[in-house]
Amino acid sequence: MTTSLSARPTGIDAASASTAPIPFSRLVRVEWIKATDTRAARWLLALVALSTAGMMLVPVLDESSFDQTHASYLRVAALGLTVLLPVVTILMFTGEWSQRSVMTTFTQEPRRLRVVNAKLAVSLLLGTGGAAFGALVSAAGVALAEASGRTPAGDMSVGVVASYLLYVLLNVFAAVALGALLHNSAAAIAASFALPAGFALIGKASSLVSEWIDMSTTWNWMLQNDWGGHLPQISVSVAFWVGVPLAAGMFRTVRRDVG
Amino acid sequence: MITATALCKSYQRLPVVRDVSLRCEPGTITGFLGANGAGKSTTLKMIVGLVRPDSGTAMIADRPFAELPNPTRVVGTLLDASAMHPGRSGRSTLATAARLADVQPRRVDELLDLVGLTDAADKRVGTYSLGMRQRLGIAQALVGEPATLILDEPANGLDPEGIAWMRTLLRNFADHGGTVLLSSHLLHEVQATADHLVVISGGAVVASGRMAELLASSTIIVRSPEPAALAAAFRAAHIDFVAGPGDELRVDVAGGRVTTEVLAGVARDHQVLLSELRPSETNGLEQLFFTLTATTTTSPQETAA
Repeated sequence: MTTSLSARPTGIDAASASTAPIPFSRLVRVEWIKATDTRAARWLLALVALSTAGMMLVPVLDESSFDQTHASYLRVAALGLTVLLPVVTILMFTGEWSQRSVMTTFTQEPRRLRVVNAKLAVSLLLGTGGAAFGALVSAAGVALAEASGRTPAGDMSVGVVASYLLYVLLNVFAAVALGALLHNSAAAIAASFALPAGFALIGKASSLVSEWIDMSTTWNWMLQNDWGGHLPQISVSVAFWVGVPLAAGMFRTVRRDVG
Repeated sequence: MITATALCKSYQRLPVVRDVSLRCEPGTITGFLGANGAGKSTTLKMIVGLVRPDSGTAMIADRPFAELPNPTRVVGTLLDASAMHPGRSGRSTLATAARLADVQPRRVDELLDLVGLTDAADKRVGTYSLGMRQRLGIAQALVGEPATLILDEPANGLDPEGIAWMRTLLRNFADHGGTVLLSSHLLHEVQATADHLVVISGGAVVASGRMAELLASSTIIVRSPEPAALAAAFRAAHIDFVAGPGDELRVDVAGGRVTTEVLAGVARDHQVLLSELRPSETNGLEQLFFTLTATTTTSPQETAA
């Protein structure tokens, strides 16, 4: 409390710098820091890594129930990643509403859509980074399998890798869409687990739902790189899980009163 | 410079802010005074674009807040000191704000020193007391070297020493040409800090102006050994008065038209002896505050309907 403030001009002369808008790259950088520099975020990212690596032990140890190919190892990485990585990105969209620090964020950049876009960019970076990590883990899994005397079939292709990346990113963005729409961590995380499970259940009764909406069907085609004849169904389910809720979430975020 | 013009906001058809206008000039501290729930925070949030007004406009430095390219360089805001990420340190919170405002990182250390948080800078904000968060919030408001400050209840949680510190800081800021708008529900706080005053009650502005004018006495107390003759003299001169305790007469100043000199002249003209002639002592802002808000705070539902 012994601070020197008496003779200190608190700075009234900065008007000249005020005309430059905040570059988008700086917004992305700040959102990246906010998403990753807390203890909770680091733990969660460590858990993502751990669960992906742990999942990889399944095809390594249980060779009878998994195709012993490079591509199927990569798919295991995708399934491991998409359990918890979406939670990290949900929190980026909901945490500020729960902590109400969104007041600070939107007074720093009142063009809220730019903030949302910066968070989407960070989600893209986290999703891509996660996918790259998953690819490394699956390579390690293959190496382990080879070390134990097996020879997993080398069936990688550009299509396999692209489908894998798309699958991971779409899972991330489906979660992000719920976060952007619901503005509540618990609700968005619960919904990101419950809604796909719910639609998978409905899909058992209705082939219309299972073929056009249920992501455990449609997105699995994508992950299997099995696009033939499924493109319309996959597109519809992407619109259902990502496009529509994300658009609605952006609208709500831009309009909502911060109280 | 802050201007708000005819701001209105309702929630579920219940008006919380009704036709609020205010104007804050450079070099002044404007106190925005009202009871809890009077509409202060909602008004401030409309000014900084966090709440969308139903009608009305607000400008800062002649632009709507949402059109300021890098707002923290123009206006520093502290709207809720508890709305900070508890898992981040004070230093990291400020560093993020500094990065976004594009100011030198060393400003973070200067500000931590200014608000007295240097020792606690690397502790998590979750461990801070409300007073420490308030200080951090003030540092964050100052990070972009703005010329305008908007602070919602900045004295909340500060100890008396901290309040005195903040007063000095804000006075210093205004004396260097800054514009300050601060809200408070504490009468004496505003009285000690602000030089302009806007009083809000039930969502509407009930008084505004320079503190000195609003505090000026509105009544003159007159006493005479011949009260009946004095009353007759005032009636003859068309001066309104009411009988006070004892023999005293309380005369309304009628917006400044009636002064002690005027009354002395009337007494002289009518040959009435005066034994006392003085402006009534005011109870300061407190009396004004209760007088102005008493009628409207009693039944917000009724007035809203």
